[in-house]
Amino acid sequence: MADTAPNEQLFRFAFTGRATEYFRIWIISLCLSLATLGVYSAWGKVRKKRYLYAHTALDGTGFDYRASPLAILRGRLLALLLFGGFALCAHFVPLLEIAFIVLLAILSPWIVVAAARFNARNSTYRNIAFAFDGKVGEAARVFVGGLVIVLLTAGFAYPWYRAKRARFIIARHRYGATQFATDLETRPFFQTYLLGGLIVFVAAAVAGFATSGAAAVRGASLAGTAFLVLVYLSYIVAYAYIRARTLNLMANATIIGPMRLRSTLRVRPLAWIYASNIVAILATVGLAIPWATIRVARYRADNLIARAHAPLQTYARGASRFATATGSEVSDLFDVDVSL
Amino acid sequence: MSTFDGLLYDGRHAAFRRVVVEVEDARVAIVEDDARAVLAQSDISVDAPVPGVVRRLTLPGGATIETADHAAVEASWPTKGTIARAAFWLESRWSMAVAAVLITASLVWLIVAVVLPLAAEPVARNFSPRFEEAIGAQTLKTIDTRFARPSLLPTERRKAIEEKFAAFVEREPGISGARLEFRRMPFPNAFALPGGTIVLTDKMVTLLDDDDALMAVLAHELGHLQAKHGMRLVLQSSGVAVLVTALAGDAAGMTILAAAMPAALLNARYSREFELEADRYAYGHLARHGSSPQALADVLRRFAEDKRTADVNDPLMRYLNSHPDLEERIRLAEEAR
Repeated sequence: MADTAPNEQLFRFAFTGRATEYFRIWIISLCLSLATLGVYSAWGKVRKKRYLYAHTALDGTGFDYRASPLAILRGRLLALLLFGGFALCAHFVPLLEIAFIVLLAILSPWIVVAAARFNARNSTYRNIAFAFDGKVGEAARVFVGGLVIVLLTAGFAYPWYRAKRARFIIARHRYGATQFATDLETRPFFQTYLLGGLIVFVAAAVAGFATSGAAAVRGASLAGTAFLVLVYLSYIVAYAYIRARTLNLMANATIIGPMRLRSTLRVRPLAWIYASNIVAILATVGLAIPWATIRVARYRADNLIARAHAPLQTYARGASRFATATGSEVSDLFDVDVSL
Repeated sequence: MSTFDGLLYDGRHAAFRRVVVEVEDARVAIVEDDARAVLAQSDISVDAPVPGVVRRLTLPGGATIETADHAAVEASWPTKGTIARAAFWLESRWSMAVAAVLITASLVWLIVAVVLPLAAEPVARNFSPRFEEAIGAQTLKTIDTRFARPSLLPTERRKAIEEKFAAFVEREPGISGARLEFRRMPFPNAFALPGGTIVLTDKMVTLLDDDDALMAVLAHELGHLQAKHGMRLVLQSSGVAVLVTALAGDAAGMTILAAAMPAALLNARYSREFELEADRYAYGHLARHGSSPQALADVLRRFAEDKRTADVNDPLMRYLNSHPDLEERIRLAEEAR
C-alpha cells in the first residue's frame, strides 16, 4: 500500500486493548467515582488513559500516560469552583450568561494551552516525553481571534478556523527535542465541511419532504419519528465524514523530524462504527461504552502508519531535566488538566 | 532471588535494550549480556499497577524498565498506595465488575429518585421571591417573542376570570403573588411560571367555556406554584445533566449524543411526578372552595376527548407538558372524591 522511498521505513500503529479488560477498569472507575462524589474520577481517568495509551503501540512499543491523579483532581476542583458556580448562576440570570461567555472566551486560550501542555508533558513514548510549547498570546490570537472572524462571517470561516487551530496545536508540539511541523492546507477543510453540511441539509430536506407526504396517510407521530431517525442518521454520516477527512488531513500533514504520518480512515466503516456504537450503548444502558471506545481506538490505530527515513531511536530527549526542574514545578502548580 | 525480563529505556533516546533484572537482598542487578549494573532496591520506584498494562520501574537518573511480569514486580515492590492497591484488586475480578454494575445502577437510581428531588426542594423553596419573579418574567418574555401572541379574549371575559381567580387564591397558604396572564397560542394550554404567573391560552378558555372547569385547571397550576415545581425541575434537570455527562463522558466522539435520550427520559419522569403532585394539591384546593376533585376529573376527561391537547408534537408543549396518562389522572381524581 505504501510507496516507500528506498531509505524509508514503515512503522505500524496497533491497538491491542481488549474490551473485557477495559470494561472492568471502566466500571470500577464509574462506580467509585459515583460513590465518592467524583473525587475518584481523577484516579479513574488516569487508569483508563493508562490502559488505552499502553495498548496503543507504535512499532511494538506502547505509549505511556504519567499524569498524577492529584494534579487532575486539583484542576477539576478549580474548574468546578470557577465554572460550576458561574454556570449555575448564569442559568438563572440571563445577563450573567453573557458575562460567563465573555469570561470563558478570555480564559479559553489559557485553558487550551494549559491542558495541551499538561497532556503532552505526561505523555511519553519510549521514556521520551512529549511537550507543548504554545504561548497563551498565540492561542488567544488563534482561538479568540479566529472565533471572532467566524462570527463576523456568519460561520463561513469555520473550516478556516479549524485548520488554523489544528496547525497551531500540531506545530507547537514536541517529541523530546524534535519539533512537530505541519503543512496542513486550508482548502480541503473548506471542501470537507461544505460537503458535511450538505449531507445534513439534503437529508433534512428529503426527510421533511418524504414525511410531510407520509403524515397525511399514516399519522403524524410515525412520520415524525421517521424524520428524526433519518436526520439523526445523516448527522452520523456527516460527522463520520468530517471526522475521517479532517483526521486524515491533520495526520497526513504532520511531520515529526524524519517521520510523516499516514492516516487512511474511511467514511463508511467509521459511520458504521459510530451508528452501531450508539445503538449498542442505548441498548445496554451504557454498559457498551468501553467496548465502543475500544472499537474506535482500534479502527483509528489500524489505519495509521508512520513512515520515517531514520530509525526511531534517533529521537532524543528535550531540554535536560535539570534546567527545567523549577519551571516544571511552577507549572505543576498552575498547570492543571482542565478538560472541559 | 527473583528474576524477570524487561526493556530498558535510557530516557535520552527513543531506544530500548533487553535486560534481565535480578532482585536479591535489597539489591537490584540489571544485566545486559555481560554488562551488569547493581543498585539499591529502594532507589527504584515503581508505578501503580493497572491490569493489562506493563509495569514501569524508574531508576535514579530517569531511565525506566518496562516489564509485563506484574507478579515479580509486586513481589519485590509491593504497591504501597491504598487507592492503587484497592483499584487494581477490584479491576482484576469479574465478580467485582458485576458488583460495580449493580452498585452503580443502585447509586444512579438513588441519585435520580431520591437525592436530586430531596436536595432540589429546599433549595427551590429558599430562592428569594424577587429572584423567582425575575426568572418567571424572563421566561414569559422568551415565550412571548417565540411562541405567543396577545390574547384576543374580550376584556370582560378576562376580568371575570381574574376576579374569580382572586377569590380562589385568597387566604390560601403557600401561594402569594399568583396572577393570570392571557396569551394566544396554537393549543389549549395552561402553565405556571416561577414567581407566580399562570399563563392561560385563549384556546383553553374557549375550549372549557365553564368557570368551574377553568378553576379546576387553575387549581392544578396553583399546585405547581405552591410546590415550586418550576425551579425544582430546573435544578433536578441540571443534576441529571451532570450525572449523565459523568456516566457517558467516555463515549467516544459523537456517541455522546446517545446520552441526550436518557436525560430527556429522566426529566420527563420528574415532570410526570410533578403533574401528579399538582393534581393532589388541586383536590384539596377545590374542596376548600366548594368544589371537588370531580371537577378536575371532568376537565381531564374533556382533554382526553380533545385531540389538540393530547397532541405533543410542539416542542414547547412537550417541554411544559410532559403529562402522565390522562386516564390514570382521571381515575386518581375520582378516587379522591
